[in-house]
Amino acid sequence: MTDHDHPHDHQRTVAPMVDEITDFEVLEVALRELCIEKGIFTAAEHRRFTEFAEQIGPTPAARLVARAWLDPEFMALALAKPLSASKAVGVDWMEPTGFGTPSDFTAFRILADTPTLHHVIVCALCSCYPRPILGNSPEWYRTPNYRRRLVRWPRQVLAEFGLYLSDDVEVRVQDSNQKQRYMVLPVRPPGTDGWTEDQLAEIVTRDTLIGVALPKVGVTTNVITDTRPAVHPIAQQP
Amino acid sequence: GSQVKRNAHHLHAVGKGDPQVYAGKAGKPAFGVGDRVRVRDELPVLFYTRTPEYVRGATGEIAAVAYESPAAEDETWDIPEAAPEWFYVVRFTMADLWDGYPDTATDTLQTEIPQHWLRAAS
Repeated sequence: MTDHDHPHDHQRTVAPMVDEITDFEVLEVALRELCIEKGIFTAAEHRRFTEFAEQIGPTPAARLVARAWLDPEFMALALAKPLSASKAVGVDWMEPTGFGTPSDFTAFRILADTPTLHHVIVCALCSCYPRPILGNSPEWYRTPNYRRRLVRWPRQVLAEFGLYLSDDVEVRVQDSNQKQRYMVLPVRPPGTDGWTEDQLAEIVTRDTLIGVALPKVGVTTNVITDTRPAVHPIAQQP
Repeated sequence: GSQVKRNAHHLHAVGKGDPQVYAGKAGKPAFGVGDRVRVRDELPVLFYTRTPEYVRGATGEIAAVAYESPAAEDETWDIPEAAPEWFYVVRFTMADLWDGYPDTATDTLQTEIPQHWLRAAS
C-alpha cells in the first residue's frame, strides 16, 4: 500500500509541535482516556478543572493585601475570617467542586507580618500552596532544596532571595503539612502614602505573599535570584 | 460509568468544605492556645505520616486550635471509621529543633499536628 491510499488531506494535517512525544505525555493520555472510558470522570469535568487551574493566579491575594492595608476593618476580617475576605476579592474556596479543591482544602489562614515578625511559608512534605487565591506554586517552591533548607536555615535561604532581615526581626517559618493553607500579609512599605488600592496591589507580588520578598516601591515583579553557573555544564560532559 | 463507586467524600462535604465537614465531631480539644506540648517520638511511622521527623520529641507551644479532621495517617488509606480529632498549630523555637541554630534566638517554626501526636509537656 502506498502513502496515498488513505483519504486524509495532507495539506490540512497539523504538523506535530514537537519531534518526540515523551513517556510522560504517552502515560498522561493513556491514564486520562482510561479514566474517561471507565467513567471515573468525564471529559467535561477534565476540561472544567483545567480551566479552573488556568484562571487562578496571585492577583486576588495581592488585592486582598492592598485592601487590608487601606481598611482596618477588612484587615480584621482577613485575619479572623479569611474565607470571607477571599470571597470579597472574588475567590470562593468552595470552587470548583462545591467542597473546595481536593488538594487545597478550605482551611485558609493569613499570617500578618509586623515590624518585628516575618513569616515565610513552605510545604516540607510536598508542595501544598493556597492555589485558589495565589495560583500555581512556583517551580522552586516544589524543589527538595527549598523544602529541606527553609525549615532549618531560613535566614540563609531568604538571603539567597535577596532578603536580609536584622536579628531583631523574628523569622517564623510556617510548614503547611496538613489541611491549612497559608499566605503572608506583609507590612505596608514606606513611601506609599496616599496610594490607591490598584497601586498598592501592584507591588504585592507572589513572592511577597510566600514570604521570600518584601513589597517595595517600584518593584512589581518577582524576585530573580543570581544563580551561579554550573560547575560541570551538560554540554561539556564527555 | 454509572456503576463506578464514587468518592463518598464529595457528597458529604459539598456545601460545607473540608475540614468543616468534620466540625463538632472531635469533642472538646485537649489543649488550648499557650499550652506547652511535646510531640510524641515513640509512635511508629510505617508507610505514612505527616508529622515531620524534625519535630518528633520536641516541645512547643499551641499557637492555634485549628480544626477537626481525621488524621492524615488514616485518611490516606481511606479508613472510613477513622475518628476526627483536633488539629493544632504548634510553635517551636528554632534553637530547640536544630542543634547550633545561629544566634537569632527568637526565630520560630510553626507546623500543624493532630492531637494523638501530642502530650502535655511538664
